[in-house]
Amino acid sequence: MRKILILALAAVALAAAQAQTVVTVATGAVGQELELSRAAAARYMALHPDVTVNVLETPDLTDNRQALYLQMFEAQSSDVDVFQIDVIWPGDMAEHFVDLYDYGAREVADQHFPAIIENNTVDGHLVGIPWFTDAGLLYYRTDLLAKYGFAGPPATWSELTSMAKTIQDGERAGGNPDFWGFVFQGNSYEGLTCDALEWVSSFGGGSIVSPAGVITINNPKAVAALETAASWVGTIAPNGVTSFDEESARNMFQAGNAAFMRNWPYAYSLGNASDSVIAGKFDVSPLPAGPDGSPAATLGGWQLAVSKYSKNPAAAADVALFFASYDEQKIRAVEGSYNPTVMALYQDKDVLAAVPFFGSLYDVFINAVARPSTATAPDYAAVSRAFYTGVHSVMTGQATAADAVAEIEADIEDVTGFPTGQP
Amino acid sequence: MTGESQAGARRTRDRRDRGTSSLLRAERRTAYGLLLPTFIILAIIAAYPFGRVVYSSLTNAKFASSQPTSFVGLDNYRTLLSFTIRELPARRDDAGQVVRQDGRVQYESAVSVLPRSPQRYRQVFQFGLLGKRYVLGAISADFIRAVWDTVVFTVIAVALETVLGMVIALALASNFRGRGLMRAAMLVPWAVITVVSARIWEWMLQPTRAGLFNALGSYLGLSDGRTDFFGNPTLQLPSMIMMDVWKTTPFMALLLLAGLSTIPSEYAEAAKVDGAGVVRRFFGITLPLLTPTLAVALIFRTLDSLRVFDIFQVVLGNQRYSMASFAQDMLISRRDMGLSSAASVTIFVIIFVFAILYVRSMKVDTQ
Repeated sequence: MRKILILALAAVALAAAQAQTVVTVATGAVGQELELSRAAAARYMALHPDVTVNVLETPDLTDNRQALYLQMFEAQSSDVDVFQIDVIWPGDMAEHFVDLYDYGAREVADQHFPAIIENNTVDGHLVGIPWFTDAGLLYYRTDLLAKYGFAGPPATWSELTSMAKTIQDGERAGGNPDFWGFVFQGNSYEGLTCDALEWVSSFGGGSIVSPAGVITINNPKAVAALETAASWVGTIAPNGVTSFDEESARNMFQAGNAAFMRNWPYAYSLGNASDSVIAGKFDVSPLPAGPDGSPAATLGGWQLAVSKYSKNPAAAADVALFFASYDEQKIRAVEGSYNPTVMALYQDKDVLAAVPFFGSLYDVFINAVARPSTATAPDYAAVSRAFYTGVHSVMTGQATAADAVAEIEADIEDVTGFPTGQP
Repeated sequence: MTGESQAGARRTRDRRDRGTSSLLRAERRTAYGLLLPTFIILAIIAAYPFGRVVYSSLTNAKFASSQPTSFVGLDNYRTLLSFTIRELPARRDDAGQVVRQDGRVQYESAVSVLPRSPQRYRQVFQFGLLGKRYVLGAISADFIRAVWDTVVFTVIAVALETVLGMVIALALASNFRGRGLMRAAMLVPWAVITVVSARIWEWMLQPTRAGLFNALGSYLGLSDGRTDFFGNPTLQLPSMIMMDVWKTTPFMALLLLAGLSTIPSEYAEAAKVDGAGVVRRFFGITLPLLTPTLAVALIFRTLDSLRVFDIFQVVLGNQRYSMASFAQDMLISRRDMGLSSAASVTIFVIIFVFAILYVRSMKVDTQ
């Protein structure tokens, strides 16, 4: 009798195991991303006991993540079902993803920002459901600004430079020799493209390649922007900033060793966490403007896409749509200050209470400057590489800004064959 | 052996073979039969993938794409290896005078003198010769620079590893208490996964005083505690070499230690009786007898070091490339499988040349 019972139990367990659908989601692990994704996976599994959702951690640097994804696509691997993809990738990677409109995305698509849906639509196929959006922000220490008699955050880059210098000199004299004025993403990677696009654009130097497909980077305003940025290295920004990514900048700012930081919204809730020494002592504002330009924030953000090589595309699409739903985006906004792509959440009381700047900086998010990924698809990665390598050589003092923009222009010309012109 | 005497030896052998018994021929057949599985496995795991790489280096294949590919001949190699040297004219102002700054002649930018079509040449580096200034330009400036950097990295790192490895091996070869423990402890750096050790070094070499080296430097008053080991171009290669030496010296020491243990101690004792000093004994007895081991160790390390990838990729990313990390970057950020394959084949050829040079110069193949 006992034997039969055990056999019966084993049979049930076996049947259950066979019925389990496994969906693997590849997500980022920057800041709280991984924990939030695991929590979301747990909530999904609670609602769908027949599905197991695995969360796969992927590299921090966008470029390394892209390397991993491309290798999986080349091998047509079914190991990962749902990919977290950057806002610049839909054009380059579209052929590896299913059309989410075939899996019920049509009913929810109009809840999201139309511009992002448009960005993710390739030849009429929705290749990714928007998950969160991003825009570059200026983080500043409210306590230090008050201490040195500044009324508010800087409106121009030259104001930022002089404020950073004043605060840095004061703090160093006050006993913190490791203090710096300004930190940002200066390593030679996609993040530098984002930062440098903000400098160039805010100086009125265009957006590298115009939406109409004209290479505009070789202009005096872009040169001035890059010269300004290069002058920060070693003066108000650490020499090592040329190997900083998002997390290096955040670590320094959150340790209380920097007055200003350029970063994405995710750093807000981490900075206000209970173990942060700067909790309640900082705020965010739009990035400063150039001498005769207006502030610019680079558009970032990530989407969830379902692999064409997935064994369970329907289940995978369901997981992706669940992760990107109103309720889940709300949790991510409140707990992690990840910008929702669902428009209605910007009026949600709980979201605005947790992250007040989602309301006050709404314009920054909807007017963010896009990287020229649409105009240059499918060669955006090569265009961006030419740009950030050139900018990096200026930041490290290996090239003058004027030479570098001429090089960048010629490099992009080689890749795309586009005409050159002024912004 | 000279070429002539080799040819002579072959002739003698051929004459001997003709007179061999059927037994010997049967044995030879058996030998080939026994070797066959090895050849088949080699063909599957080495020859086939290599053939694929050579093939794709002759096409314009795009990585992770269904885009149709076509045969482009040697175009990828032309792109990779073309270089040119041009003279840089001095910069002149509107009056035709040479522009000087701080007493030094200013030159036109390299972009203006390097050819633009059919393909663009980028500056690799500039150099002065006989009072004139030249620029070395290449279509794939990054690759030419990567080849140069990798060779410099290899030569310096392997030389340091050999000297340090020899010192450690000699120390561990002597008899003392705790020798076993020391031998085991020595191997720790070698046992650490390279990516992990690269990260550890990255932390120790941080550009702020949070990093060990900068903390020590500023504590001892040697630096301002802001040395940027990975961002400063002049410090990048020395940092990489330091990491590699730390990691692979144990391997060198281990191989040399094995070689040392095969040298009978009687030789050294006899020399000692004859009145030879320590230095004389090392250069007269130990080193010559250790040469075969040293040759094998050097070949291993050099070839390994020429295809260095992990520490460059982890620490320097897109800032500076080794030959292998350049090939990977071409594959990923340019998605240019053809060019990446051509780079891989070129790396193979370069490594092959090094291997032949070693085998020839160290006479590894003679008994």
